[in-house]
Amino acid sequence: MNVLPIIFQAEFLRKIRSRPYIIGTVIGMLGVALIAFLPGYLGSAFNANSKTIVLAGDPALIARARPLLAKQYDIVATPPAPAAPPTIADLNRNHKAAAYIILERRPSGLHATAYARDASAFRDAFARDLVPLNIELSTHLSQKQIDPLLTIPVDIKSLDTKFRSQSDSDSARAVAYALIILLYLAIMLNAQSVMSSVAEEKTSRIAELLVATTSPMQLLAGKILAAGVAGAIQIGAWVAAGYVAALQLAQSMPRTGAAAAAHGPFGQFDVSPGLIVAFIVFFIIGFLQYVTLYAAGASLINRTEDLGSVTMPLIFPALASYLLAFATLGFPNDPRVLVFSQIPLIAPYVMFTRLTVSTVPIWQIALSIVINIAAVVFIVWGAGKVYRVGLLMYGRPPSFKQVIAALRA
Amino acid sequence: MLQLTNVSRSFGSVQAVRDVTFTIPTGSTFGLLGPNGAGKTTTMRMILGILVPDAGTIRWDGKAIDEAMRRRFGYLPEERGLYGKMKVRDQMVYFGRLHGMRDPDVGKRAEEWMERLGVAEYADRPCAELSKGNQQKVQVACAALHRPEFLILDEPFSGLDPVNADMLLAILRELQAGGATLVLSSHQMWQLEVLCTDVCIIAHGEVRANGTLTQLRADLPTRVVVVEPSDLALHRVLAAEPGARELPQENGMLRFDVPQGIDLPSLARRLVAAGDLTRFERLDPTLHEIYLRAIGETA
Repeated sequence: MNVLPIIFQAEFLRKIRSRPYIIGTVIGMLGVALIAFLPGYLGSAFNANSKTIVLAGDPALIARARPLLAKQYDIVATPPAPAAPPTIADLNRNHKAAAYIILERRPSGLHATAYARDASAFRDAFARDLVPLNIELSTHLSQKQIDPLLTIPVDIKSLDTKFRSQSDSDSARAVAYALIILLYLAIMLNAQSVMSSVAEEKTSRIAELLVATTSPMQLLAGKILAAGVAGAIQIGAWVAAGYVAALQLAQSMPRTGAAAAAHGPFGQFDVSPGLIVAFIVFFIIGFLQYVTLYAAGASLINRTEDLGSVTMPLIFPALASYLLAFATLGFPNDPRVLVFSQIPLIAPYVMFTRLTVSTVPIWQIALSIVINIAAVVFIVWGAGKVYRVGLLMYGRPPSFKQVIAALRA
Repeated sequence: MLQLTNVSRSFGSVQAVRDVTFTIPTGSTFGLLGPNGAGKTTTMRMILGILVPDAGTIRWDGKAIDEAMRRRFGYLPEERGLYGKMKVRDQMVYFGRLHGMRDPDVGKRAEEWMERLGVAEYADRPCAELSKGNQQKVQVACAALHRPEFLILDEPFSGLDPVNADMLLAILRELQAGGATLVLSSHQMWQLEVLCTDVCIIAHGEVRANGTLTQLRADLPTRVVVVEPSDLALHRVLAAEPGARELPQENGMLRFDVPQGIDLPSLARRLVAAGDLTRFERLDPTLHEIYLRAIGETA
């Protein structure tokens, strides 16, 4: 009789009914939605506030400056230049404007003084809009003559077949950034959850009862499978929350709404089915590598307080991979990155990042998958042996020699 | 029938079990006794396949024990373990299913056991919320729910109050009557004495005595005789008996350890002739005495 489904079912139900899992999933969904939604929302809200200005100065000058600034700013009043510097009361009287800008013409050219409500939030970008007027006043060239000189058309042609334009590439980086965080969280949270479960069985001595009925390998496999499925459900919920939030935000923005409707919430970068498959493949590989190591580590402890000492050495490769993945965003085809994208424990993060932001030769992807699947087999084999021995080892924590002996057994 | 033949197991430089050989007849209740650290738990773990022997064989009905057989066994380890957050019913059902039971039988059987053990009202409560005694009952149910043909109970009475100990005793008698083979390890000798038909005493990993209780009693070279009153003349007769050894008096009665082959009728006649004898009794050796002699401590 195969007891794997029984262990899987019990472990899975135990996990998804546990308070930390439910809270983690819900808070994760809210968190992801917030991360996707908040910066855009706050940005647009702050922008709206900081775009209301009072433009003061010589009426003739203001009349010429106004059309240039009206594209970006909401000009609520155009009084003559005040005799005394304006105050907060002056801003409040004028629709609570963000700034009071006084324009004057000096021998050296245009000069602007901005009295901002919050100097740190008010940007001097308005000055760029006034450059054509400044040139016109200094050179007496007409606006029509000046305009073509202000911009040099640049046409970036991407030689990378993956992206059609630079904005595609930027969008891909943003998506990769989000997915790396998601991959890290999904792997580490589930690895730690399996570790706690193993530690609970070891410290409460349930392990002895279980291995009297079934083999430690079946027990380990049931646990890992259950954590994997529960983890996948959790990621699915987080991704869905992030997607919905990003879509809502894109549609709520007047300038990008149409584009979002046409291309989805990630701009012109499509999250292709290939990328989704890559995410799933590298999630499974990374998950199996880390979870089995964590489970083996947990089987060696006698008290839950000792979990930290086992976790510590396993945190380093995970953290290093996480940081390397971010570095990879900037240099996806660097020769060192190419090597990292093949190394077990690191590859799930680095290769996935490379796949998101660049075109990776098929042979490199295949080699990485083969090496890492071989590593999964080796890790499961070794961790299974340590788990089998560690599960019934009580008293003093096992020495390094004992762990090696377990591997040789 | 379970047969252990020359089984040994060591942990590093420590030899936990050395060349252990014994047989547990089918349907018997077998007491595995020994001081702490004697190798009892290691032996039980090897029988259940939790540990692998370094040498020797363990066979059930002549066959090596495989996973399918182990599922028909039951085990109550000395160190109790339950999933603290799992509900009582779910826990029983889980262990029942691991032992090969299927729905809906496993659910029904769990309900029966909960009723019987008086924990039905806690069916939907997490085990961690139960008292130690009630947790112990849940453990017993988890071990016996699937009606095992072979059940190992390591210190089953520890932590139980007298009422619950009696309840467990009744359950074990019922399992005995049902034909299950039981292996018990306990330091509560009187409970083993009333339950066990066969006994194996081990110390320092080696078998010191093994057989049916009747055999072990018969094999003991001495017997205790009790004489009342504690009279000088009676004392003289007993002390003069070849091979007799005086034991501490109990309730004003003389107690002497005498060789098993002693001529009791002759001794009785001499005692009657020596004084006003009101009581003369030969006691069968208790399991406690057998145990102490086997591990090298005198009674």
